[in-house]
Amino acid sequence: MRCNVTGLMLCLLFLIGWSETALCGAAPPPKRIISLAPAMTEIIFSLGLGERVVGVTTVCDRPDEARSKTKIGGMANPSLEAIVALKPDIVVMTSDGNPKAISERLRKLGIRTHVFKSRRLPEIPAGIREMGQTLGAQPPADVLAGNIEKAIRDVSSSLRGKSSRTNNGGGRKALFVIWPSPLIVAGPGTILDDAMKMSGLRNIAADGKVAYPRFSVEAVIERQPDLILIGKGHDDMKTLAKGFLKSINMLDAVKKGRICFMDDALYRPGPRIPVGMAELDRCGKMP
Amino acid sequence: MKRDNSSTFLIAAALCAASLCIILVSVASGPRLLNPFILDSETCRTLLAIRLPRTAVALLMGGALGASGAILQGIFRNPLADPYILGISSGASLAASFGLMFGISLFTLSVPILAFIGAIATGAAVVILGHGWKGLQPERLLLAGVGIGFFLSAVLMLVMTISVDDGLKRAILWMSGDLSMVDWELLPAGLLLILGGLGLALTRRRGLNALTLGDDIAHSLGFNPIRERLFLFIAASLMTAASVSMGGVVGFIGLVVPHVVRRHVGSDAVVVLPLSVVAGGTLLCVADAIGRTVAAPLELPAGVIAALIGSPYFIYLLGQRKTH
Repeated sequence: MRCNVTGLMLCLLFLIGWSETALCGAAPPPKRIISLAPAMTEIIFSLGLGERVVGVTTVCDRPDEARSKTKIGGMANPSLEAIVALKPDIVVMTSDGNPKAISERLRKLGIRTHVFKSRRLPEIPAGIREMGQTLGAQPPADVLAGNIEKAIRDVSSSLRGKSSRTNNGGGRKALFVIWPSPLIVAGPGTILDDAMKMSGLRNIAADGKVAYPRFSVEAVIERQPDLILIGKGHDDMKTLAKGFLKSINMLDAVKKGRICFMDDALYRPGPRIPVGMAELDRCGKMP
Repeated sequence: MKRDNSSTFLIAAALCAASLCIILVSVASGPRLLNPFILDSETCRTLLAIRLPRTAVALLMGGALGASGAILQGIFRNPLADPYILGISSGASLAASFGLMFGISLFTLSVPILAFIGAIATGAAVVILGHGWKGLQPERLLLAGVGIGFFLSAVLMLVMTISVDDGLKRAILWMSGDLSMVDWELLPAGLLLILGGLGLALTRRRGLNALTLGDDIAHSLGFNPIRERLFLFIAASLMTAASVSMGGVVGFIGLVVPHVVRRHVGSDAVVVLPLSVVAGGTLLCVADAIGRTVAAPLELPAGVIAALIGSPYFIYLLGQRKTH
């Protein structure tokens, strides 16, 4: 199609801020979805909408089908052009990892966005239900949210029996290592911290001021965690963590081998939360 | 280095023509090569809403940095002076990073405005601290700039260390000159400030030429070195602050472009200032086009690419000068 008068008018309309006029009223369920975060991709696929996904980020690696989707760039700096070229009906993003500027810019470009705002574990089911409603997949979203709620209930109920037996009322002291060198751990306000609390573990970095604090090794030794949890990274964490574990080898946790290498299920607020909770529960019960 | 007017004019005309071609090719290239002769509605949309604002901002930023570098190297008589040596970038980075990392984004323009305030406040602090009993002396001003710059960078590092959070990655991108999110919104204000700064500098071009010869000679030529230096410093700060607030910190251009321009056309400010604008703008424009094209859909920061392609040429030029 050659650039004619209509085309130019469209461009002009676009420039003077035409954006959300078409979105009033009930919008039809989107057919072309772009996901801007790995967790969002996992949720969309588990809602059975994988076929409708037309674009994902370069870090969206789960499920396997997501790897073959068109890439639109990274989480913090996706390519606007690549997004526009895929003509999405909706772009799904998260407030935890995608900069706010992207959603503002996309809205100005007349592209509908859905921002997943749940950052804490108990908020995730509601976030998934809301997303299901936007994407026109309410029933599967209810099932997925229900599964996560059940997983939370399960660990909480097993904890009720346990906490009455421990005299300090909180169970084992634990540390969740995100990266061993420099030491970065899970602090307050994170899904990991919530999951640890719900599994009856006391996060020794819960007073860390920021979500993922750089923690001092001395503080770890002083606070004597009973259990060290080590999350999954891009590289072999067992090799990477050797130096850190050596520097804290006087702690009971290391002597008794209560070091638990975990998967990345709890890193992402998505369908693998129940798996992550069960894994954390198993680690918490290490002898 | 004295050159006759006609050869300077020829070189300037050739540079402008080459820049124009390079800019056109840059606009067309990206994740998808745009054919300017077949404009369907999608091409129109990509062009008007994404490519053109990026290109315009890159041209403005690069141009402003090139001109500021030329001014500052002149008033300090120091080939190492650049828009960032005076701590202006550190001030802007600190203010913008606060906005990005602590989510102070009440409205869309809050980060650019924070960056602008940070840059201007740092510039003012440098002038106040650099003002000795003999007025604005180049060495004192430079040292005040370097000192304040180091202090602000340290504060920035501190803020980044204690906040390992979502805004961090955006802040790092911002500090390496990321143009991927710019739109038309920032352009009018940026254009106005940069044209203002450039205009002020051009009215003081004779003063700038005199200052490069030394304060005593400038004085004997009838200029007040302190006043000229202050006006030119204000012009450079204004342009740098506007540039930083539009697309973050882009190093290299302000330092190197004026040297390259002077190498070709001599050191008369009347020629060096406008040509630094053209060359700086073109370089950043190309760098941004390469950054969005080579690893598409990944966006590589324009500032990083500018330094990667510009440095080898600069080193080549240095080698050439030695052999002459």
